[in-house]
This record gives sequence, structure tokens and C-alpha cells, in this order.
Amino acid sequence: MTFLRLDNIKKNYGDASVIKGVSFAASKGEFVVFVGPSGCGKSTLLRMIAGLEDVSEGQLYIDGRDVTYEEPAKREVSMVFQSYALYPHMNVFENMAFGLRMAKRPEAEIRAQVMEAARILQLEALLERKPRALSGGQRQRVAIGRSIVRHPKLFLFDEPLSNLDAELRSQMRVEIAKLHRSLGATMVYVTHDQVEAMTLADRIVVLRAGLVEQIGSPTELYDKPANTFVAGFIGSPKMNFISAKVSSVSGTGLRLDHPAFAGGSLGVDTPAAARAKVGDTVTVGLRPEHLTVGAADPVLSLTLDFAESLGGSTQLYARQSTSGTPGEPVIALTPGRPELKPGDALKLGIAPGHIYLFNAAGLAL
Amino acid sequence: MRGKILHAIGLTAIVVFTLFPFVWMVMASFKTQSDILASPPVWFFTPTLQNYVDIFADTKVSGAIVNSLIVATLSTLLSVVLGTPAAFALARYDFRGKSDLWFWFISNRMTSPIVLALPVYLLAMYANLLDTHLVLILIYLTFNIPIVVWIVTDQFKSIPPDLEQAARLDGADQFTIFRKIYLPLGAPGIAVSAIFSFIFSWNELLYALVLTRRNVQTAPVVATSFMSGYELPWGKIMATGTVIVLPVTIFALIVSRHMVRGLTMGATK
Repeated sequence: MTFLRLDNIKKNYGDASVIKGVSFAASKGEFVVFVGPSGCGKSTLLRMIAGLEDVSEGQLYIDGRDVTYEEPAKREVSMVFQSYALYPHMNVFENMAFGLRMAKRPEAEIRAQVMEAARILQLEALLERKPRALSGGQRQRVAIGRSIVRHPKLFLFDEPLSNLDAELRSQMRVEIAKLHRSLGATMVYVTHDQVEAMTLADRIVVLRAGLVEQIGSPTELYDKPANTFVAGFIGSPKMNFISAKVSSVSGTGLRLDHPAFAGGSLGVDTPAAARAKVGDTVTVGLRPEHLTVGAADPVLSLTLDFAESLGGSTQLYARQSTSGTPGEPVIALTPGRPELKPGDALKLGIAPGHIYLFNAAGLAL
Repeated sequence: MRGKILHAIGLTAIVVFTLFPFVWMVMASFKTQSDILASPPVWFFTPTLQNYVDIFADTKVSGAIVNSLIVATLSTLLSVVLGTPAAFALARYDFRGKSDLWFWFISNRMTSPIVLALPVYLLAMYANLLDTHLVLILIYLTFNIPIVVWIVTDQFKSIPPDLEQAARLDGADQFTIFRKIYLPLGAPGIAVSAIFSFIFSWNELLYALVLTRRNVQTAPVVATSFMSGYELPWGKIMATGTVIVLPVTIFALIVSRHMVRGLTMGATK
């Protein structure tokens, strides 16, 4: 059942259009992540759902009710800010109780709700402290606590982990995932970090320049990216792109020419072959983690530039062997520590199912 | 090391320079007229309380201090009550004519008070307000509200807007946000502007001299009233001056406790 629905939502600041028509629906209990590079409008979109920004055009529904022009407080949403936005002059208890006090709940209920949230988030020992006496992770927890005490219909998170160090970030990520499981609440989460998006989301909305690029589960986005933008954004290290020419088409087979390919060309078996014709430019996408060193029938013939050992695996940076324009470096992620040194010839293979093809406009073939 | 010594010498010079008139006033208030006028000045003398006995002998000085307290307290209170909501609006809302309004607040302090003394006197006369507390309070408001608006607007602007938005999501209305978020977090700025307002109202002489006769004379007016054509009773003037300075000092000490720096620390990362 649809719980949150955005219907062709637009946002303009004067003549500048920031959100150019976003439609999307989330069902109850779903964890949705808005992801995209900075300036893509993801935070603006979240703030429009919260009611902190006016909607210029379109309709917004929460739990079947049109809340497009509703006051933020009446939308029954809560939000965790990137800056945490804790009230500095109130202690932890009062920070969490503030919303309940505004709703004029009885004192006993306020106490019970705050203590419950404090228990879930392990804040019981800190209730008397002021925010400035807390560490970053503790402040983060208080901000989450403040959002859960009111039992909102919808939780909004605006890059909540971006101010934390790497270790704390992965720890809090797990806690947020647990929280989602235990509360079963609908959550919308904004981040520019694709790892957070992949690990937390039931569904990811990839945004670019105010438009939705693709909506899907993390694995869908990884396996079937709709275009080169999504393909490049999801996955780390970034997908390698090689721009090749179609030299022949035969049934479901395509032959693509590029100097980086072993033997100068690559044969791909794909149902999309019918849509291509000789002379077309096709972008071939290869994920670094799918490339294997020392395969029996390599697809790429390159020269190693340098190798970075990550301990358990090695990241290889390679370029075309043939002289002329060097083109984009190709990155491969391989387990172990292959015996290679810069300047060595590097033959990389790939399983046939892992080759992504995009047309000249960047759309998946 | 040399820098430290120079630093100490400089600081001492400034402290001596600023404190000397004050010390001289307090010393003179305990001297007899002949000790005050002695040349070279007398540093060691037999202190006398006669000047204080004299000034409190009639009710003129004590009455004036009560008048000053009424006028300064009420005008300070009113300027904070009226100025802080204005500062909130200027700090957080965009509206037409905002910059003009801002400039108007600043320009209020650009006119020399003496320029307006006569028109204000005539206005007060026609309104039948001469020699009342009200007329002084109203006039001081025109000086104090701009001070409060300036200082507090700046203070409010430094409060992260996220706090207000968090409060809106928590269900707080504009007035609650002002009262529960902005007033407590703006306290240092409000305290500073209150001190300025109080000191200004307490020390103001020109309008107090022009607009009052007998009933509502404030302390500075009374202090100058000792000067007659025939004598300059320095002892009484200095004793009155000392008595005048005391309440402002006490007020500033009380309020400065609220001027805690970094009150907004910990709100955001």
C-alpha cells in the first residue's frame, strides 16, 4: 500500500528550477534512500516532504492525505538534521521531550516516552547533559532519539552520518538499520554516499540535477543500471567505461572495436544486438570487481600503470597498450596480491554476463 | 619576555587612564572644600562624610535617584520587550522594506540629540507631558530600541536556522520558537544591549535637563544643579556623582553573569 507519494513535485527559486518534476511512491515500512551528487536536489526534496520548503508544483501525500500545503508539525513527520540541530540550552531529556511538550502530552507520558527512546539508544546515563558535553556520536543518537519519541508516521534523515568519522559512521549505519527493523517505520534517508545507500535502502532513488535517474532496489541498480550515470554512481570503485564502435551485427551477437580490447575487438552476445547497427558508438561498462587477472580468454589487453595493495585485495590502474591517446584508465579490483609491476602487460577477463552496454545517449541497451 | 613587559605597561597605562577620574571623584567626595581646591593636590587627607550628610540632608538627591531608577528601569525593560521581537523579525524573515527599516534603526542614532531638543520640548509641552516620567521613558526608548535591535539582531542571526526548523517540526509556533529558542540563546546579546540601555538612560543629561522641572529631575540633573553662580560645591557634586555611579555598576555586574560566551556551542557539529 502506498504510504508516501510524490506526484510530479517541482521546486523553483525564482527562475532557477531545482526539482524538475519528481514522482515516486513508497509503501509503509519501506526504507527509501535519495542518493545523488551534491546539488542534485535530494536535500531540497526531503525538506519539501518535511514541509520546511514550499512545493512549487505537484502534490504530496502522506498516509493517503494530501499534505502539500500542510504545516510541518501537522504532517506527523520527524527529521534528523545533518547538523543534528539539538537545542543547546536544553539537556538531553528536554531535547527529546520538546516535541511532546509542544503537543501538550501529560508529564507521565512524556517521561515514559523519553525513557523508552533513551533505552533504545543507550542514552540513559546522559539525560542530564547539555549537547555541548556530548561526543559527535552521542549527539547523533540524541537527534535520532528526539525523532522517535513522537512516534511519527514518517522519519526523514538528512545526511545524518556525514559529520561522523569513518568508524562511527559504519557503527551508526548499523544502528539505523536496526532501528528501522525494530520500529518498522517508513524512512526516507538522504545521502551522497553510495555505500550508505546500498547498505540501508530497500529502494534507492538516484537523483541528478533535479530529476530521477532511476528507482530500484540496491541490487537492481547494481545489476541493471538504466544509464551510465547510475552505473557510474552505484558501485565502488567506479565502473570503467570504454567507448567502442560497432563493427558487425549478427543475430544476437555484436562485435565492438576498441584498441583496449584484446585483439582490438570484443564480441558480446546480447538480445539488445538487434537495436544496434554497424557504425554506432556503444559505451561498454565493466565493473572493476568483475575483471579477473590471468583469465584464459582475456577481453582487455592493457599495460599496468600502478597497483595499490589494500591488503586482502589489490586495485590495479591500467591503460591501453597501443600508442596514441591513452584514454581513460581502467581500474580492476582483484583478490590477493598478483605479482605485477608497472609497465607489465595486463590481460583482464570478464564473465559474459557482466558486460554492460549503453547507447550513445548513455542509456542501457 | 620584552613583549610581555610592554604588554603589561600598556595595560597598566590604560587602566590608570580610565580609572583615574573615577578615583579622583571618589576621593574628592570625602574631602573638604579646601582640600579639594588645594594646590598642589592633597593625596593624604582626613576623610569626611560631611558631603554625603549634606546631599542626603534634603530629599533632592534621594528623590532624583528614585526618579532615575524608575526612568532607566522602565525604558530598559520596554526597549528589550519591544526590541527583541523586532530583532527576531529582522534576523529571520524576509519582507519588503527590510533594509530600509534596518537603515531607519541605524539612522536614529545619527542625529545629534541637541538638534531635536527644542522640537521634543515643544511636543512634550503641547502633549502636557513636561516633568513626567513618561516623557523621559518615551524619549529614551527612541535611543534604546535601536541599540537593542542592532545588537540582538546580530545575536539572533548567529543562531543556526536548523534549530528553528527542528522546533517547527516539533510543533512549535513562531512565538514559542521566539520564546523557547531565540530568547534563551540570545541572552548574551540581550544582556549587553540591556546594560547599554540602562547606562544610557541613567546618565542622560540633555533631555532630562530640558524636559523636567522639579518633580522628575534625574540624578545627573541634580548633580549639575549644585553649580550656582556663586559657588562650586565640588564635594557635594562628587559625592552625588559617586552615589550615581553605584547602581549602574551593580546592574552591570548582575547582568554580565548572563554574558556567557559560546552558549550556542553544541547545537550543531
